[in-house]
Amino acid sequence: MGALTLRLTSLTSIFAASSSVRPSLLRRRSRPLSLPIRRPLVSNLSAQSTAAEKDAAPEIAGNQKARVSEQAITPRSQDFNAWYLDVIASAELADYGPVRGTMFIPYSFIEKEASHVEGFSPELALVTVGGGKELEEKLVVRPTSETIVNHMFTQWIHSYRDLPLMINQWANVTRWEMRTKPFVRTLEFLWQEGHTAHATSEEAEEEALQMIDIYTKFAYEQAAIPVITGRKSRVETFAGASKTYTIEAMMGDRKALQAGTSHNLGQNFSRAFATQFTDENGQRQHVWQTSWAVSTRFIGGIIMTHGDDAGLMLPPKMAPVQVVIVPIWKKADEKAGVLNAASSVKDVLHVAGIKVKIDDSDQRTPGWKFNFWEMKGVPLRIEIGPRDVSSGSVVISRRDVPGKQGKVFGISMDASVLVAYVKDKLDEIQLSLLAKATAFRDSNIVDVTSYDELKEAISQGKWARGPWSASDEEELKVKEETGATIRCFPFEQPKGEKTCLMTGNPAAEVALFAKSY
Amino acid sequence: MAGGKADNSKSKANTKGKEKEVKKETKLGLSVKKDDNFGEWYSEVVVNGEMIEYYDISGCYILRPWTMSIWEVMQAFFDAEIKKMNIKNCYFPLFVSPGVLQREKDHIEGFAPEVAWVTKSGNSDLDVPIAIRPTSETVMYPYYSKWIRGHRDLPLKLNQWCNVVRWEFSNPTPFIRSREFLWQEGHTAFASKTEADAEVLEILELYRRVYEEFLAVPVIKGQKSELEKFAGGLYTTSVEAFIPNSGRGIQGATSHCLGQNFAKMFEINFEDDKGEKAMVWQNSWAYSTRTIGVMVMVHGDDKGLVLPPKVAALQIIVTPVPYKDANTQAILDTCAATVSTLNAAGFRAEADLRDNYSPGWKYSHWEMKGVPLRLEIGPKDLEKKQVRAVRRDNFAKTDIAIDGLVEKVKEMLDDIQQSLFNSAKLKRDACVVVAKTWGEFAEALGQKKLILAPWCNEEEVEKDVKARTKGDMGAAKSLCSPFDQPELPEDTLCFASGKPAKKWTYWGRSY
Repeated sequence: MGALTLRLTSLTSIFAASSSVRPSLLRRRSRPLSLPIRRPLVSNLSAQSTAAEKDAAPEIAGNQKARVSEQAITPRSQDFNAWYLDVIASAELADYGPVRGTMFIPYSFIEKEASHVEGFSPELALVTVGGGKELEEKLVVRPTSETIVNHMFTQWIHSYRDLPLMINQWANVTRWEMRTKPFVRTLEFLWQEGHTAHATSEEAEEEALQMIDIYTKFAYEQAAIPVITGRKSRVETFAGASKTYTIEAMMGDRKALQAGTSHNLGQNFSRAFATQFTDENGQRQHVWQTSWAVSTRFIGGIIMTHGDDAGLMLPPKMAPVQVVIVPIWKKADEKAGVLNAASSVKDVLHVAGIKVKIDDSDQRTPGWKFNFWEMKGVPLRIEIGPRDVSSGSVVISRRDVPGKQGKVFGISMDASVLVAYVKDKLDEIQLSLLAKATAFRDSNIVDVTSYDELKEAISQGKWARGPWSASDEEELKVKEETGATIRCFPFEQPKGEKTCLMTGNPAAEVALFAKSY
Repeated sequence: MAGGKADNSKSKANTKGKEKEVKKETKLGLSVKKDDNFGEWYSEVVVNGEMIEYYDISGCYILRPWTMSIWEVMQAFFDAEIKKMNIKNCYFPLFVSPGVLQREKDHIEGFAPEVAWVTKSGNSDLDVPIAIRPTSETVMYPYYSKWIRGHRDLPLKLNQWCNVVRWEFSNPTPFIRSREFLWQEGHTAFASKTEADAEVLEILELYRRVYEEFLAVPVIKGQKSELEKFAGGLYTTSVEAFIPNSGRGIQGATSHCLGQNFAKMFEINFEDDKGEKAMVWQNSWAYSTRTIGVMVMVHGDDKGLVLPPKVAALQIIVTPVPYKDANTQAILDTCAATVSTLNAAGFRAEADLRDNYSPGWKYSHWEMKGVPLRLEIGPKDLEKKQVRAVRRDNFAKTDIAIDGLVEKVKEMLDDIQQSLFNSAKLKRDACVVVAKTWGEFAEALGQKKLILAPWCNEEEVEKDVKARTKGDMGAAKSLCSPFDQPELPEDTLCFASGKPAKKWTYWGRSY
């Protein structure tokens, strides 16, 4: 049970929007928005396990067509993992497939970069039979494309004039994981992967930083997720990279999610694949490379950052439906008037560029509809009843502020008033989600100065931030003893002298420790 | 231009890069003419035009940026159109369990021999091998069964953009027949056959527009024969293109009405508005990267690719033509200014300012890549405040005043788009032969024609035609019965069986 079906017309559209507009050939200085992921060399599987997932798997053949709003969602505070799976099932985001969840790479390619194959080997899906015949060479279903890309780059790059060479692809990739979780860790996922080759180490570094910068911006501005950007430790660096930059997000259960990565690959792959160019002085040199990716994992990040006990909560900028209109009538003679008003309100908002949907089915009660659209995470709800029609106004409720507090009566239906109000509220919700997530994040990061303090913070489920200059072995020891790993050395560092929390030696940087997905 | 290198030969500039690169000029161009050896020409043009890179696995091709930008233009058009029809995008898994794959019998008989299987993860064998989707009917429909319960859940209209794998052993050809390819596949379910029928045609019209309006390739809309329809479906409609050089028809895209066969297999039932249980009516429809191969084959010439302006990654290439003693800087500046004017006006334009290639080399290079319009700027042009425009499709040269540049360029690109379609249509039409008897049919087939023949519409007769035309070139088959039917006089007989004819049908060899 791990293959996921993305139903998200919403979130697939987020990906598609940028893919259709962008040329696959990135030019220098172009700043595309993209979405997440790379597994580190040492895989850090979460301790939470698969029992809940198995329970959530639907019986396809049977007639148990359990319906959305009739299912109760496990409260988030009670069991975060179960809550996540419930929300996904209920909000019609994904269904488990009946299997465990080119694309083809000759096995010999994968083997070329030694640490790369070591990092990925257990997760490789191998095709050995095609068209009824045993294949001569087993084929790997791509877990990432560095090896294919280098194969291509080696043929396309001749001289310094061919550099920088920068490509991007939107693709599906496969990693045969034992423990899966919708969006976060699936056998197959969608992503964009960018690959670039440069003439100098400096240019490659600049590119890697530029991309992690764009991912950071995307997280804050679009997804309202206050990620912490930084550099991975040696232990957590991508298999085959010199440096890995990452954006780390704190989920509602305070576990960390690596939401996007950008790698400076140095010359590791270009040496393994002999990807060389002739420089301006006629000398042969190996190219300097980067790769960077964001995947559908990011969607899991949005759900686990903003969702609550009523279901999903989508940031307005990413919501496929930003406003849902629920017309309310009791008597038959009220219906036409209410529907008319609802429909003209819809038109007004639609023309103003707001993504709006009207739920006018007469099969469900307004209360049912409220719950349903809250579950789906729609940021704003407009209610229109007979009294509103006569007063020419509507009632507007915010998804992120529950109950009466989030409800405002008597907003004029007048186009100029309504559009301005709705746009304003959407902006406010967007900012408010970010502010709330930021406050949550900050209240759950503890500054530590000793290993004991670190252990204490982690045991409370928090993140620990402290000076670190200890060895890889000591980092692994922390992992073994606490379950936490170094998420990153944040770009933003406190000033002043620091001593390593583990060894007491001088430390140049603080590291961020947390349990992670 | 990233990756902008015309030379695909294995020899690399090992020393003194600059000198060597200039020498490569001699290797530009195609070694085969389109009319002499079409197959060779095609393989060469897709590689030299930088659309395809051959890969270590036979039948798998790397689609280079020059290809992907064409695909993205078609994708942007089609995606927007189906969204207007309220069709939503989704993504189903690549992997299929054997049980699900075998659910629909007729269907799987068609695909089983071509399936690729994952049998190992890392070093361990999987308990049950997992198939890689050859198409997604059997992957998706169990969930349609789950999601559809009442008539209010209908219509259910989903589409996905994805890759599929068909492990064929017959001669692989870039774009046309590859083991992995990209496509969109739409899968819809309706309460009534009427709605399904209407959508089949609505989608088919979009496919026609992709071919005719974007790729400038004329197609024929029609219905497939029983023998050629989609396995397990009710009927199949298609747009059919024709490649004059090879004398083969090619199925451009298909829009199927599946009827209720799949609904029955997968128990996709709903309660209708009277409270009674009913089965849904389904459609599926797809077009793939094959479209790009058709475009290359139809428009390409002995100098390389010819891209229709609407889909070309680059519509205009601006090249400086410096002379000795000329003010080179002024020329380069004008090139750059021209590009920014054109880009600002919404065109896809670039300047090739590389100083290690001669203007002549650049002309050949961009002709090879099929850029529709070239603007040359030399000292005289500078003087006269003009640029020299050269069309890729007919090499016509025109001097354009810088003043009216944008309008003139737009006019020319529109004209190139239209001329490509017109000339492709003329060539295609010239290949159509009406054959009323077996003798006429056999003769036309020998001449590699697209044959329009009166047919009795019997499956056995089509099988017989296939058997009788078997040979090195492959057998003839029905391509489609065009919706646009010429008049069929009452006593017309079938060209193959001599029985009364029921309709006009296109026949020929095909890809």
